[in-house]
Amino acid sequence: MLTQERARPLVATPRMAWDERALAEVDSALMSNSTPDTPPAATPDPRDLFEEQAIPFLDQLYGAALRMTRNPADAQDLVQETFVKAYAAFGQFEQGTNLKAWLYRILTNTFINTYRKKQRDPYKGTISDMEDWQLGEAESATAMSSRSAEAEAIDHLPDSAVKDALQSIPEDFRLAVYFADVEGFSYQEIADIMKTPVGTVMSRLHRGRRLLRGLLTDYAADRGIHVASKTGSTKK
Amino acid sequence: MTDCGCDKAKAELEEYLHNELCSADADDIREHLAGCVDCESELHVGRVLTEAVQRACRETAPGDLRDQVLLKIRTIQATH
Repeated sequence: MLTQERARPLVATPRMAWDERALAEVDSALMSNSTPDTPPAATPDPRDLFEEQAIPFLDQLYGAALRMTRNPADAQDLVQETFVKAYAAFGQFEQGTNLKAWLYRILTNTFINTYRKKQRDPYKGTISDMEDWQLGEAESATAMSSRSAEAEAIDHLPDSAVKDALQSIPEDFRLAVYFADVEGFSYQEIADIMKTPVGTVMSRLHRGRRLLRGLLTDYAADRGIHVASKTGSTKK
Repeated sequence: MTDCGCDKAKAELEEYLHNELCSADADDIREHLAGCVDCESELHVGRVLTEAVQRACRETAPGDLRDQVLLKIRTIQATH
């Protein structure tokens, strides 16, 4: 790549010349402290593109921000901050690549830097990749004897119970579950967004889902929702 | 556990569920699931869990958030 570019000075030269002109324009604009009255021709207004492309993700980003901050006021602030940063950096976004993942990366970075900074090291306390599903074997042991009853119970839980359960699991696990199950990001995309190896994503996702399942099953059992068929059928 | 493929299936069920297996591995799991009620019901719980999370997390941003965001970026654009 690099050697190829170096081997083509004829292509590079006019671009540099243009860049210098553009820089000079910026300089004079800064010196006169006013905007030039003619915007550079042919370049589409980045604002229009941004509004058209990025704003449609607002609801989704707000949903993610809610899961991150756990309260609407902070979620709104986080989303605003994310869009301002994304707008400022939009020139670096490569059209045709995954804008949604790009926005989520900014959201997650902003969340970590602004809201999580003082809490704890986000990379501390994560478990190794291999022990995860083995550990999970014990965790997934459920109060309900029948899996179909368990599935039905989870299926009938109110959204509020699912949200509460999500809120109560560790943040790294919660985000991995959210990114995979709600947003449908691939493991690799989540690894990029959370800046962790794919193995860590897997382990967080497995662990998070196991915890969630345990919490939801307990919740259902506590409320007597579809208790396992063996004991449930004797009731009446 | 048994040696009928349950160990492998259970270990890879999450990856199967999240479409992260290569097609050959996914075929193996699919084949196993077709003949194994135990693993099939485990997969079903996994699917239901995913759907429950998706349902619960559907959010609509407050109406004025969109306005505030647009106002902010237009202000930046104007003063830029």
